[in-house]
Formats: sequence, structure tokens, C-alpha cells
Amino acid sequence: MSAGKILVVDDDPQIRRVMKATLVSHHYEVVEARTGEEALEAVPQELPNLVLLDMNMPGMDGLETCRTLRAGSEIPVIILSVRNTERDKVAALDAGADDYVTKPFGIEELLARIRAALRRSPTAPEGGPHSFTAPGLEIDFDARTVRARGKDARLTPKEFELLRYLVAHAGKAVTHRELLQAVWGPDYGDEPEYLRVFVNQVRKKIEANPAHPKRIVTEPWVGYRFVE
Amino acid sequence: MRLWRLAGAALIVAAVIAVYHLALAVNPTTVAVTLLLAVLGISAFWGLAEALLASALGVLGFNYYFLPPVGTLTIQDPQNWVALGAFLVTAVTASQLSERARRREAEADARRVESERLYELGQAMMPGGSSASTIRQFVQKAPQVLGCAGAAFCYLPANEVVRSGPETKVVSDTELMLAAEAEDVKLDAAAGLALAPVRFGARSLGSLALVGSSVSEHVLRSIAHLAAISIEKARAMEEASHAEAARQSEALKAALLDSLAHDIKTPLTSIKAAVTSLLGAAGPEQHELLSIIDEEADRLNRLAAEVIEMARIEAGKLHLEKEPVEAAELIAEALAGFTAPLRERPVAVEIGEKLPEAYADREFMVQVVKQFIENALKYTPAGTPIRVSAQAKGGKIVIGVADRGAGVEENERLRIFDKFYRGRRHRFQVQGTGMGLAIAKGIVEAHGERIWVENEPGGGSAFYFSLPTGGMR
Repeated sequence: MSAGKILVVDDDPQIRRVMKATLVSHHYEVVEARTGEEALEAVPQELPNLVLLDMNMPGMDGLETCRTLRAGSEIPVIILSVRNTERDKVAALDAGADDYVTKPFGIEELLARIRAALRRSPTAPEGGPHSFTAPGLEIDFDARTVRARGKDARLTPKEFELLRYLVAHAGKAVTHRELLQAVWGPDYGDEPEYLRVFVNQVRKKIEANPAHPKRIVTEPWVGYRFVE
Repeated sequence: MRLWRLAGAALIVAAVIAVYHLALAVNPTTVAVTLLLAVLGISAFWGLAEALLASALGVLGFNYYFLPPVGTLTIQDPQNWVALGAFLVTAVTASQLSERARRREAEADARRVESERLYELGQAMMPGGSSASTIRQFVQKAPQVLGCAGAAFCYLPANEVVRSGPETKVVSDTELMLAAEAEDVKLDAAAGLALAPVRFGARSLGSLALVGSSVSEHVLRSIAHLAAISIEKARAMEEASHAEAARQSEALKAALLDSLAHDIKTPLTSIKAAVTSLLGAAGPEQHELLSIIDEEADRLNRLAAEVIEMARIEAGKLHLEKEPVEAAELIAEALAGFTAPLRERPVAVEIGEKLPEAYADREFMVQVVKQFIENALKYTPAGTPIRVSAQAKGGKIVIGVADRGAGVEENERLRIFDKFYRGRRHRFQVQGTGMGLAIAKGIVEAHGERIWVENEPGGGSAFYFSLPTGGMR
């Protein structure tokens, strides 16, 4: 049985080859695209479960492809790039990517990240809250809906998981590492920039004034805290 | 020519007198006015000497033929003396005035010709793409335009003398050099040689010489001025185009680096992904060999990254995003990257009290601290302690990493930050490219700050770098 269908988008044929061989041996089904444009055509046709997207491609680059993809789909996207600066990672996450892996990478790391991105809990973890209600903010964790200041807010799965974890630990400071491992998986912990990007996105969607957040506050040196 | 004109003047006066004396009977006033007109005409067309001769002849003829007693040169009526005097004064004065006007016109004509020549010379030197070609144009065109035998130019900045041909050998290189220092132009009419210093403002550019020329001093000065302006203009344009070419080459270099980074890392990505994939399922024998491929792929990757970063620093393409950062945060982030290797080391972190915030690019600064820690780990014996510190000193924040190793020899303290330089003792023992500290130096210096190494009093070395405080914004 297939562990999932993965769309590999890279202009380099050797990389597509090695990705296909490796992923297939780990029971994934693989479809390929050589350009961003091809990827955008392939997604609605092939309906993959995840996209591995090269950042640097001729024509439409990875960031643009990711943004376009994100506009119509919540499919998990992992960006692969030779650039390893924080700026590049933040740019990729801002474009809607779920994760960012620097080339060259060990295959185990990539597989772990693929598993983490595919791991989507459809139901609330045991012990978690079912809903949260406060003036200006209603969250239904079972139905996965958020209403902020009377309007429906559309959160991506990662953003939703982040919010769920913070609400479940409302009033307590959650460390960066704890939050990363809870939302992304056990292989994470050293990516505070991921949190910066995703927390900012969630704040934009639920806070009255995202620049001065009242719900998700930063605990300097530690992490974040949800205020009830 | 002049004799003919003098004879002509005499003839005209004689003709006027003859006509009035023999053919027409008129009063003496009419004769005098007609003679006056003739003198004026002569002076206007021919010159002062002719007019003066005509005046003298006119006075004599008028007196002899028309003033009573006619037929003698004596004058009876004193009133006629006055008339004759008035005639003479009027004729001479008018002649002088008209002569002056004529001379002015001739001078203006000469000036116009000079201006035209200067303009032509200027035009000839105009398209010169460089100062050298402008000078060549000058020595070639000057003889044609100025009508001299040859021209030479001594250009001091390039220390060279350019000549139109062998005819200019009458002036030696040394003479030209000396002329460059001279106060003013020098005309040697006997040798037909004109020398002029060429200056732009207070700056001496050299000198020029015209051989077999008859230019005036002021024209020579104008030529020198014109040459100076043309050469300076060409030089400025040359510099501007050099600067533009340099800028384009930098931009090209940066673009090349980006594509190089991509081109090296792409095959490495395939190798790394393939080998790590094989490693997962390999037996012990293959595992060893595949591990070597894996580690060497990593090494190639690090090497490529360092080369690219070094090149980027050298091209001045380091893009800094400065922000207020806390030294403690930089140190904590750098240490976080070494969790495993630091376990066997006692690590002390000393942060000064009430440190102001630094203002720097956080990511790059973490990289520098990491480099210091990595060096301490690499070059000191296992188990020896490492001390990381941050203090405020002289309005700056100084971050340092001290170890208990062998220290850095006096003569290596500066060279240790040079590209590819490897410490004498460790050159063959420790793996490395010799670029780590050079990159750290490039990053610190891009911030306008200082990086250095000291020996610790109790043995060992301490690497430091300074950071501007937040107040520097």
C-alpha cells in the first residue's frame, strides 16, 4: 500500500531520479514535474499528498509556485533549496511552505520531514480542548473552525495545530522546542524562525492588533504563551 | 606693392587737380573738399602712408593752382593759410582714424582665424576616448591646423613624450620636462620654437611644444588651456567608464557566484541523497565505504560554501541586515549548534552586567561566534575548557572565545586571519580550508568592526571581535 503520493518538482533530472528511486523504495508513489508551471498543472490532475518543491528553477521559481499553489490548496509543501540563510527560510515559510530543507540533505532527514508534513491529526489529540470561546474569538477544535471578531478565519493545518497546542496549554509558557516538536514532529526543535513566521500568521488572523498581541504573547527567551 | 599704391595716390591727387584746373571752373572750396574726399578714400582703402602723401601733394597742388597768387607756392590772404591748415589737419586726422579702423579690422580678422584654428584643434582632440589618444590627436592635428612644422607633448602622469615626427627633435625630452615646470609660455622666435606648460587648475599635466610656428603668446596659452581641458575631460570619461566596467564586473561576479553555488550543490544533492539512501540498507562492509562518500560529499559542500562566501565577501556583496541584538542571545544561538562536541568540554559563559544591545546582522554574528568556538574545539586538546564572554568596552561590545590550548605565536597573530593561512603547528594535523577565520574577519569588517587574537595570561589564546552598540544607529 502506498504511503502517499509525492510530487517532486525540480529542474535537475538527476535529483528527480534519485528522489524517485528513494521515495519509491520507501513506499511512496512519485510523480514528477520539471518546472513550477508543470507542478501547478500536475497538482489538480494527480492530487498528490505532498509537494517537494525546488526553490531555484528557471521560469516560475519555487516561491512563486508555492504562493500560487497555496492560494487554492492546503497541500503540504516542503521547499528544497541550496540557500541556507534564515532570510531564505523565512521567505519560503512566508510564501506558505510547511517546511524548508537545505540541499544537500541526508535522505533520513528528508523522510522524517515528509512524515511530519503528512502527519495530520484529523481529530483532537486526547485530553485536548474541544472548543475555546472568549469575546472576539471562537475556536471549534472538532470542526476545525475559527471565528475571530465575528469573521471566519481560515487557518492552514500547521497554523491550526499551533493554535490548538497553545490553547491546550493556555496560561503557561510553551518553549520553542516543545512547540516545534508538537506541531512539526519529534525531529524538530532548532527552527525558531518557523515559529516566528507561523505565530505571526496566526496573530494576523486572530489578534485585533497583530503588532501588539493580546492572545499569543511572546515569552522572551522561552517561547510563547496563550492568554485566555 | 606699396610703391604702386603711393604712385596711385599721387596720380589721384594729380587727376583731381588737373580736372578742376583745366576743365572745370569752380571755387577753391569745392577743390579742397574734393581733395579731402580723395585723401579719405585713399586712407580707407590703402593706408596711412598713402593718405599722408596724398595730403601733402594735395596741399601743394591746391596752393599752387588755386590759391592766389595762382602759379606760386606763396599765399597772399592770411585767411587762405587757415583754409590750407584746416585742410591739412583734417586730411591727416581722418587718415589716421581710418587707418586705425582698418588695423582693428585686420586684428579682428587675425583673432577670428586664431579662434577658428583653436576651435578646429579642439574638435580634433574631442573624440579622444582616452587621455593618451587625445594627446596623439593633438600632436597630429596641431601642425595641420596651426600651420607649423611639428608638435610635441610631454604628459607627466604617464611620464611619456609624444611627437608628431622627427622634425620635433629640436626640442629634447628634458627641455619639455623643464617647460612643464615653467611659469609661463616661452617663445623662441629665432628657432621658431614655442613651449608652453599645460596645467589643469594647479595640477601640472605636462608641456607642449610647437616647432616652426609663429603663434602669439596668447594663442599659445589658449592652446595649452585647450589641451589641458581636453585631456582632463578624456581622463575623467575614461575613469567613469572604468568605474562602470568595474561595477558591471562586480555584478557579474555576484551573479556568477549564485549560479556557481547552485551548480555545485545540485550534483552534491543527488550524491548525498543517493548515498544516504543506500546507507540505510547497507551491510557493515558497504556501510564503511558509503560513509566515506557521505562524509566527503559533506566536506565538498562545506568547501563550496566557504569558497562562495569568501568570494562574496571579497566582492563586497555581503548583504547585512542589521538589527538590535543581545550578545547573550548570539552566544546562546552559537553554542546551540555544538551540543554534542561541547559535552566533553567545560564551557563557561560570562556575560557582562547590563550590556547594551548590539546593532548587527544576527545571523552573520552567530556565524563568527560559531567559527571561534569551532576553532577552539579543533585546535585545543579534548577536555580543555572553553570560555565565551561578552563585555562592554569603550562604547563597543566585545565578544570573545578563550581556550587553554597552545596559544598563537606572536608572528602568526595577524596572518591567522588571512585566507588559506593555516597555523604552522596544525597545518598537517587538523582538517580545514583555512578560510573560516578569513570569513569571520570579512563579516566583522563589513560591519566596520575589529577582529583580533590575544594570548591568555595562563596559556591559551583568546579570539575577540567588537560590535557596535544599539546607540550607534
